[in-house]
Amino acid sequence: MGEGASDVERRAVMAEKIVDDGVIAACQRGDREAFRLLFETYQDRVFSIALYSLGGDETLAKDVAQQVFLKLMTGIKQFRREAEFTTWLYRLVVNACMDEHRKRRRFLPFADFQNLDERAVSKRDEEEVYARTEISGAVHGAIMRLKPKLRMPILLKYIQGLSYEEIADVLSCSTGTVASRLNRGHKVLARKLGHLRNVSFEGE
Amino acid sequence: MFGKHVSKKLSAYCNQELSADEAREVAEHVLVCQRCRRELEEVRLGVRLAQTLPVLHAPASLLGEMETHLDERASHPAQTRRARISSAFTWPRMAVAFTSLLIAIALGGWFFLVRPSTTSWEVARIAGAPRIDSANIGESGRLAVGEWLETDANSRALVQVGQIGRVEIDPNTRVRLVETRPTEHRLALARGRMHASIWAPPRLFFVDTPSARATDLGCAYTLEVDDAGAGVLHVTVGWVALDLGSRSAIVPAGASCAMRKGTGPGTPYYEDATEAFRTALAKLDFEQQDAGARSLALASVLDEARPRDALTLWHLLSRTPVEERARAYDRLASLVPPPEGVTREGVLRLDQHMLDLWRDELKLGWFKNDPLWRRAWRWIWGWASEKL
Repeated sequence: MGEGASDVERRAVMAEKIVDDGVIAACQRGDREAFRLLFETYQDRVFSIALYSLGGDETLAKDVAQQVFLKLMTGIKQFRREAEFTTWLYRLVVNACMDEHRKRRRFLPFADFQNLDERAVSKRDEEEVYARTEISGAVHGAIMRLKPKLRMPILLKYIQGLSYEEIADVLSCSTGTVASRLNRGHKVLARKLGHLRNVSFEGE
Repeated sequence: MFGKHVSKKLSAYCNQELSADEAREVAEHVLVCQRCRRELEEVRLGVRLAQTLPVLHAPASLLGEMETHLDERASHPAQTRRARISSAFTWPRMAVAFTSLLIAIALGGWFFLVRPSTTSWEVARIAGAPRIDSANIGESGRLAVGEWLETDANSRALVQVGQIGRVEIDPNTRVRLVETRPTEHRLALARGRMHASIWAPPRLFFVDTPSARATDLGCAYTLEVDDAGAGVLHVTVGWVALDLGSRSAIVPAGASCAMRKGTGPGTPYYEDATEAFRTALAKLDFEQQDAGARSLALASVLDEARPRDALTLWHLLSRTPVEERARAYDRLASLVPPPEGVTREGVLRLDQHMLDLWRDELKLGWFKNDPLWRRAWRWIWGWASEKL
């Protein structure tokens, strides 16, 4: 049945094992090392969602990620369970991205994103990223052109590896709405990138 | 011949989000339905493409900057601050500081509470000929405190709410600017429809209607009022609080709440609730019925409720007589078990602490009792708005 779990989903599961209730409790006590572990665990995914959501503007995405972690540091004492924590964290990310969109009242131009590979991606493992430059570049572009309401569920699903129920919780909507938006998002991606239909993807 | 199409389930199928039975149903259906098979191929390609989206590395400087914040927190513990304060403490200095504080409070109180507001809001025409106090505004105008903005059947307008947001005014609408100052921006909606998008901290923007007051908790929403003063609120982002007298409701994104003049806000409900649920809820909220009919309406609400409708059932607890409350409690407890510290007896006697605990469990209370940092943000925002 269906497709196998992606690397993203496996990474998300691993992260959740590392950041357990004990780590969150330590953060609530103000434990510096626990905060550090939290940042290191989530910083890439928070930054990625912000970057994809904000037109590839690395500076803006960094600012948003910083705002999110500052809010996290300030408000973490309110949380008692790890499951609530992840929902809260990604709701902070979504809200921060929406706030940026509202401030600008339009989506950022796509042009900036053309150089994303050279700026952000170049900082990670070249073998992993550049092996599929053509595909990932095209997917970046298509994701950027999605309507925000279709784009955010895709980012939460494939960057963070959230379940439909968790995405619904983060976006304050029903799982049916999440399923519908992902369905539409997947179809839009397939139609825009139909020419990649016969390309073999990494791991296949 | 092929049974019901399964288009809507295809992504959930590819993402392994369906139950075994549903997945089997989809698999069997696509074997015999060419249309759904074609769509599955399309969705599957979309899933494969999306799975190539890499997680990017955050700039190394991000962690460094966060470390700096941690250092700042660590290097200024409360104890150190207290030590610095006590070393600077002397009676004469304290007397001067205390006097200054009193003067500041008096001036602040005068500024926020007594000083008449002289500011106004910018209004732009979107369509037709919007009017301010009966005068056409042309392409744009200013709405001052006490003035009415009115649109006819062909007019629409956009109002800039100080520095904190904007409101779109639909046709056949009449609104008045009641107050605008750093700590409070208030409109009165007499009739018609308005769409508000507010990006300021919660509880700075209010809309008075004949049937309830809407308090922004950081959100976007649509508010409608008819000629009889009845209305409905639809929230699209964030939360809105509605209240009239002691009757109140908290309405999150995706939910609506009807209002009636003289009664106040009804019970909030998610817009994707069943028709039967919403109809029965309206009867409970606003219709005078005999005990039998009311009992049937409550039964319908409880039977149709999904876990998501805990929003509605939690509100019903505090606005139904004790016998109905017991039925609402039992149904809510079966959908979302009460947290530790909440008992049936306590809820039935409307123990506010228990109701709050349960509401927090239902995640309805995140924006109530704002933490200190949020209150500080609100104060800073108010100060900055005054200066801009």
